[in-house]
Amino acid sequence: MSAYDVFIGLEIHIHLLCASKQFCGCRAQFGGEPNAHTCPVCLGYPGVLPAANEESMKMAFLVARALECELSKKCFFDRKNYFYPDMTKNYQISQFHDPVGRNGRFDIEVDGAVRTIRIHDVHLEEDAGKMIHQGRCSLLDYNRAGSPLLEIVTEPDLRSAVEAEAFIREFRRLVRHLGVCDGNMEEGSLRCDANVSINHPGAGLGTKTEVKNVNSARFVRKALEFEIRRQARLLDKGERVIQETRLWDADKGATAGMRTKEKAHDYRYFPEPDMPPFVPDEPFLAEVASRMVERPLQRKQRYVATLDIAPDTADFLVEELDAGRLFEALLTGNIAPKTAANWIAGDVQAQLKRADTALQGSHITPERLSGLIAMVEEGRLPRGKAKEVLELVIARDEDPVAIVAEMGWEQVLDDGELDGWVVQVIAANPDVVQKVKGGDGKPLAFLMGQIMKMSKGKADPKRAREKLEQAIAG
Amino acid sequence: MDILQSWRRVLASDDNRRRYDAYIERWESRIACLLERDLTRATGTPDAALPLSGIPFAVKDNIAVRDFHLTCGSKILQNLVSPYTATAVKRLEAAGARVIGKTNLDEFGMGSSTDNSALQRSNNPWNASAVCGGSSGGSAAVVAAGLVPFALGSDTGGSVRQPASFCGCFGLKPTWGSVSRFGLVAYASSLEVIGVLARDVDTVETVYDLMAGADDLDQSSLARPAAPPAREIRTVGVLRGTAGLAAPIEAACRNTIDALKQSGCEIVELELPMLEYVVPAYYTIATAEASANLARYTGIRYGLRAAVDEGQEQMVAATRNAGFGDEVKLRILLGTYVLRSGFQDQYYVRAQKIRTAIRNAFDAAFQQADVILSPVYPTQAFVRGAGELSPFAQKLADRFTASANLAGIPAFAFPTGVADGLPVGLQFMGPPFAEHRLFDAVRRLPDVAPLMRPDGYDEGWRS
Repeated sequence: MSAYDVFIGLEIHIHLLCASKQFCGCRAQFGGEPNAHTCPVCLGYPGVLPAANEESMKMAFLVARALECELSKKCFFDRKNYFYPDMTKNYQISQFHDPVGRNGRFDIEVDGAVRTIRIHDVHLEEDAGKMIHQGRCSLLDYNRAGSPLLEIVTEPDLRSAVEAEAFIREFRRLVRHLGVCDGNMEEGSLRCDANVSINHPGAGLGTKTEVKNVNSARFVRKALEFEIRRQARLLDKGERVIQETRLWDADKGATAGMRTKEKAHDYRYFPEPDMPPFVPDEPFLAEVASRMVERPLQRKQRYVATLDIAPDTADFLVEELDAGRLFEALLTGNIAPKTAANWIAGDVQAQLKRADTALQGSHITPERLSGLIAMVEEGRLPRGKAKEVLELVIARDEDPVAIVAEMGWEQVLDDGELDGWVVQVIAANPDVVQKVKGGDGKPLAFLMGQIMKMSKGKADPKRAREKLEQAIAG
Repeated sequence: MDILQSWRRVLASDDNRRRYDAYIERWESRIACLLERDLTRATGTPDAALPLSGIPFAVKDNIAVRDFHLTCGSKILQNLVSPYTATAVKRLEAAGARVIGKTNLDEFGMGSSTDNSALQRSNNPWNASAVCGGSSGGSAAVVAAGLVPFALGSDTGGSVRQPASFCGCFGLKPTWGSVSRFGLVAYASSLEVIGVLARDVDTVETVYDLMAGADDLDQSSLARPAAPPAREIRTVGVLRGTAGLAAPIEAACRNTIDALKQSGCEIVELELPMLEYVVPAYYTIATAEASANLARYTGIRYGLRAAVDEGQEQMVAATRNAGFGDEVKLRILLGTYVLRSGFQDQYYVRAQKIRTAIRNAFDAAFQQADVILSPVYPTQAFVRGAGELSPFAQKLADRFTASANLAGIPAFAFPTGVADGLPVGLQFMGPPFAEHRLFDAVRRLPDVAPLMRPDGYDEGWRS
């Protein structure tokens, strides 16, 4: 197989996390009794009109801004005409001529290097319903019809299947950080179609195919890897790639051309007469600006570069929103960032996993965790006990300090008490002390054991050992 | 408010309602303009605090009223009962008025005679062999016959004003956006608006004032400006080059100009060469929008469904073939044609440019004249089988009315008299939101309305 240039462009659809649908007051959410979340507007009854949801418009502008797009000053909607039973009006209200944003850019990280991918446009539209085939009949559920959907179209800047996967993962992080989408690809709240073409080096874009029906970032990579190999074999043989839509079959690990009649679709776009153009005013833009967050990749880079956090740990803190929030909360205290990060990515994660629970609702709060870390840092709690304390915090919803006190796990740091135990142990074991004085270090462990026994485990081992050695040497 | 006052007691007693129902029945056997009627909705003691309390009205059957049918004069929606009520109707109901029936229309508002209704043939109250005009023909006829004090219609290219003229009543096409379209079944969204038909100016004004205003359910609706255009009328523009008018219409123009001069108005002759392009631009835009607006009628969720089980595409095709009339199919095909990619610039985009030019021409005209006087239609109501216009000629005849729809401006049709047993009417047009100026313009003219009653019109039974 010869080397070819690869060009991949993505069309990503995200379901915006709005309480209501794009053009009516029905609830926008998955599931529910079929057609429970419908009304004359989203069912396309005669005479109804769309009334746009301002919240979705804010989210759309927020995403466009996060992708550094040129924001529309006057935003129009268009009608995209096509007949399908899951489209109640048989036209989709979308944006064609004047989308929310154009000409943006988005950084992704591939193998530790940053790549900038150009964004063609960001536009708002409405989702369709769902058709379910059952034997000789088809059933329609319009719960999803009219839900706000945001489409992000990239330029064909991605150069490999790996980059495409990295883009989806990074974009998914972005929309979750912005709070506009839950990013769940399995449930379809983030969907991705990929356009891919290959060509001889330097020859520019080739004939593209569109890969659909891919419901995870990993499958996007696999489907593209398959498709690139398939196209390369054709070019190797001197054959041509046919421009078509191909469906990914995860079970077979292959794409296959759609069997439907290949008719060129003419969507007959024209301006939506029922919607006045949307002109974002100052208060609107100010609110969008106020919802802006640090982009996840920038946050990761900041953690690594300025907080001395390991890249994997930084990735974890950026990927997991609740862990990230906990970390940011700990940063306001006295705990070193690296320490906080390691606790969260290490012990906390391990105990959550053991308890089979998520951070949210786990009773682990920033106050409780910082209290626990402080006890360990100050030597008041043996490091090894921290796991058990966390386990009890999760199980009992109690404060770590209270747990440690109740369990009697607190280390005694008081010099007077430590000195007393040291003196008593030395007095009770003169033979052993002699051996140590004679240069045999081994029995020291026995003496330490005696101290711990006498203190019922409360003596801080480190300080007790220091004092014991001093006393014997002294 | 005299006419409305006289209607207040009508629905208050069972006795009155029986006589009222009998009166409707007598007319309906002649004009057949109501597709559905339900007097039981109109009971109850009038509440004097409400401006329209106890007053019945009729609604064109392309405007949604909950629990009434919403047929749009089409077989495809013949069995549809509306699950909701249009905002304009709701506002009138809130003012105490009650819907007592739904009126016939050209299928989906596409036509100028109401003969394009797939459900019923309606007649003009003045002459049962004449058409009542369209597409709001049923609403015009029930008002002219005195079945209701007012009725709602919709005006996409003249559909309120032309039937008003044909039947001898007043018909207002408001400024686009001043009355919510929520609940008006869309034919050509950017052109159409809900309008009022009544037998006097005061009733039109009262009803319009109650209906108008922004509506959250229609984001293209507009609040009336804080300072609407002044009501005062000093100059009246008249169009030059209105050749091809029937003699009674031409006579009405002359007489009305004389009357306006006598009332102290200055007459300004206007040239609006853009009017030549009104009809092609209108039909391009209207059919383009219609091709999308009517795409939702598939039989899948409501309405007629053809008994075909070969697959959804075949079922939808068969439903549409059986459910739509020829004129509707023609306009859907035309609209699909003008929107094809590669042809949009030649048709749709060009029509939009013409539309902008027409709007600009009217803006300029209203710098010279406070209102414009114009014919509504080149002829009176046509008698079937004699002197009837061909469907193509009927479209060309829309030029005087459709211009106001392209410009989005208000226009008010008023009766001027009767010739050869049929009414004659003209219209005033004004700048956006100048509805009240149009009412005042008509009030300057000799009051013709009380003299214009078709045979069988009865005011006595109400008092």
